[in-house]
Amino acid sequence: MSQSSLKDNSRGRIEFVKKAPIFGVVSLVLVLASLFLIAFKGFNYGIDFVGGIEVQVRFNKAVTVDEIRSFMKTTGVKKSSVQAFGEDNEFLIRVESIEGKTQEETNALVNSSVKKITTGLSQNFDGAELRKVDTVGPQIGAELRSNGLLAIFYSLIMILVYVGFRFDFQFAPGAVICLFHDAIITLGIFALFQREVNIQTLAAILTIIGYSLNDTIVNFDRVRENIPLYKRKALEFVVNRSVNEVLSRTILTSVTTLLAVLCLYVLGKGVVKDLAFTLAIGVVVGTYSSIYVASPLTIVFDRLMGNSRSTSKA
Amino acid sequence: MIESLKARIWIVAGVLLFGAYVFAPNFFSDESRPSWLPGQSLVYGLDIQGGLQLVLGVDTKGVIEEKILRLGGSLKEDINKKTPNAVSSTKTNDVEPFGSVTLVGNVSQIKSFTSANYSGVLQLLDQSETSVTFQYFEAYVNQIKKQIVTQAIDVIRNRIDSFGVAEPYIAAQGSDRIIVQLPGINEADYEQAKDLINRAARLEFMIVSNEISPVELNTFITEAETAGGYTLGTKNEGGLKYLDYVKRINKDLKNKLPEQTEVVFQKLDQVASIEDGKSAVLVKDDIVFSGDKISDAFVGLGQYGQPVVNFSVASDGRNEFAKMTGENVEQPMAIVLDKVLKSAPTINSRLREGGVITLGNDTEVEKEANFLTNTLRAGALPAALEQLEERSVGPTLGADSVEAGKKAGLFGLAIVLLFMLVWYRTAGFIASFALVTNVFLLLALLTSLGATLTLPGIAGIVLTVGMAVDANVIIFERIREELLKGSGLRPAVKDGFGHALSAIIDANITTAAVCLVLMFYGSGPIKGFAVTLIWGIATSMFTAIFLSRVFIDLLVRMGFQKIMPVKKRMA
Repeated sequence: MSQSSLKDNSRGRIEFVKKAPIFGVVSLVLVLASLFLIAFKGFNYGIDFVGGIEVQVRFNKAVTVDEIRSFMKTTGVKKSSVQAFGEDNEFLIRVESIEGKTQEETNALVNSSVKKITTGLSQNFDGAELRKVDTVGPQIGAELRSNGLLAIFYSLIMILVYVGFRFDFQFAPGAVICLFHDAIITLGIFALFQREVNIQTLAAILTIIGYSLNDTIVNFDRVRENIPLYKRKALEFVVNRSVNEVLSRTILTSVTTLLAVLCLYVLGKGVVKDLAFTLAIGVVVGTYSSIYVASPLTIVFDRLMGNSRSTSKA
Repeated sequence: MIESLKARIWIVAGVLLFGAYVFAPNFFSDESRPSWLPGQSLVYGLDIQGGLQLVLGVDTKGVIEEKILRLGGSLKEDINKKTPNAVSSTKTNDVEPFGSVTLVGNVSQIKSFTSANYSGVLQLLDQSETSVTFQYFEAYVNQIKKQIVTQAIDVIRNRIDSFGVAEPYIAAQGSDRIIVQLPGINEADYEQAKDLINRAARLEFMIVSNEISPVELNTFITEAETAGGYTLGTKNEGGLKYLDYVKRINKDLKNKLPEQTEVVFQKLDQVASIEDGKSAVLVKDDIVFSGDKISDAFVGLGQYGQPVVNFSVASDGRNEFAKMTGENVEQPMAIVLDKVLKSAPTINSRLREGGVITLGNDTEVEKEANFLTNTLRAGALPAALEQLEERSVGPTLGADSVEAGKKAGLFGLAIVLLFMLVWYRTAGFIASFALVTNVFLLLALLTSLGATLTLPGIAGIVLTVGMAVDANVIIFERIREELLKGSGLRPAVKDGFGHALSAIIDANITTAAVCLVLMFYGSGPIKGFAVTLIWGIATSMFTAIFLSRVFIDLLVRMGFQKIMPVKKRMA
């Protein structure tokens, strides 16, 4: 089983590594485009992160968006948006960035505005059912945002340390860069479609990181196992062979996960549907990146670290 | 891996039985549950069963500020009682982080008093030949803050209990926040519940001071308002909230008012709220009898048929109450609720065990009397609360989401199971069984832990299923690889499981590490997600690695030649 070429081996017939530079460029373009979108288009932050009011209301008879908009004008609450939500006669009213001079004043304003909206709705419309009312003060919003960023940051650090500890250190940067790659592209898609970024989005992105990492580690695990088996081969050969060996698993898992996630997207509602959307992107991007980003990067970092051929802990 | 197949079968049977035992209570209502079953059943989150969630900021800083404002006066009195004329004057300074107090007088006498009586409380900040400045130790302040939050939680819990919510969740969040969850509470009761939670309901009995005439007092207040450029806000216009306003006025008038007095306001009879019309009253704050020394209270009728509150004083407060009322017979006693003077009846004789609180003759006096009785029984809040976040979910929304989530989850699971069956045949059947067992064990575990199941938690379960499928796929693909190399079934199974182990464990541990970070940094929904995922990792490792191995080994022992298709496939 020691064929000299990459090609004639049934377990290494797709040349991932050779094509990697092309995909490297593709990835780079995607990441840069995402960063560009994030910087210039920005996120559509939910009230979790900026503070504000969100009221989900359902009526038992036909009501139009315009009727609610004109109702909102009578309340005197500014900067509100109204959108139809889910089935007929269900609406989402959002009020963002209410600002007073001090934080206490902002809190008081937020609390009095929500009272105006909720009592006004039940007075002006018969059979208005308040299905969900969220109000988030500005401090909480800022705190949730910074805690969210910290959570992502510390997660990445833990991954870097663990992968560095369990595998050789030329593996760790590839794994983490790959995760940044996934997170940035997913966020880029959120910026592109202006989908709301809220706490659940954050949870979903961390799930994607977890999923992509899972894929990456399965690939790395095989590389780690194969390195001592092919002592005379270049690392490129070993990586390519390993990716091919676990390819059937990669495809099977991705397809099953994607099917399950699509089920959640089609049949689920609200939070579950949003989560499924993010996960679907994540599964595709994560599978791609563990093959074309993480694995080739081990070769790059192997060279950068000056090992022409590395050995590995088992 | 335990070599004896028999022993492993027993372990699997034991775990499944135990899972069934802790999961069983979910099939019964609280009343019909047999006594031999555990009492814990699965708790659904607010997003599923509906209800109200509040995050409240506790104004611990305000309490400390007020404490230091009163400290100067009481220090002066105490020190001068021991060594007359040791302190000539005091001043409160507005310095970061929580203010300081300067005492002018005999420095060595002051210092010997404070080091004897306030060690660990006050630290020397500055000193000259004629004055000393103290501030609180940070450790002392932190201890006070912690006490305040704990006390506030107890008070809120007591008040909510009187409201009758089935399973309220009230806990500290960080150092100065409290989160309150009231599952299943009716939308109509939101405002009342919020009022019950938010109002400090601090009742104080003080003696009215007549050292300054009302006219002079009003002049002082107008001057302070003009100088500081602030007013008491009304409902329609901006301005300070009442409690902030009173605090500000007292701070600004500190040096104009006689020592150990403070200003409170009374609502004028003809207006609807104190913001619309008020009159100032000066009260002495050297003797304050606090409402938390009242043991019981009930609504009764006063002499003109108006509602009043009858109260009894707890045994440890009786001497204090008797002393205060005995020394001030014929004086008006100020009954102050949340810094609003409610009434000022004249003390006719010494009171010891209780008395009557008149609340004036407001239109809302009955409501007020009921509120006061409730809060006197449950206790006053030790600090003002500020509502920072409010989330409410109507009962139908949660039910809809769960219905949709259930359908989606079951479909997803069915597709995955079908896929495994088609792809791996016999082995796929075992994997499917392992998957279903995994979901069951995870729910059983969450039940016994008393965890709360939220929608993000359900997402965590879905991800767990995904990871469990992956573990089985990794193992089965590995077995297939070994079979393709020409191994016999038995060594292929052994090597398959053996080689796959490192990948599965590494992948799961890194995910678990991320979960741990989320549990520490995440808030509500994220935490729920992380908790279910981390337990899901534990159960899925058991089912995917241990349980499915037991069944495959069993099949091999039973003489099965083929557990999955091994033809070469694409990729």
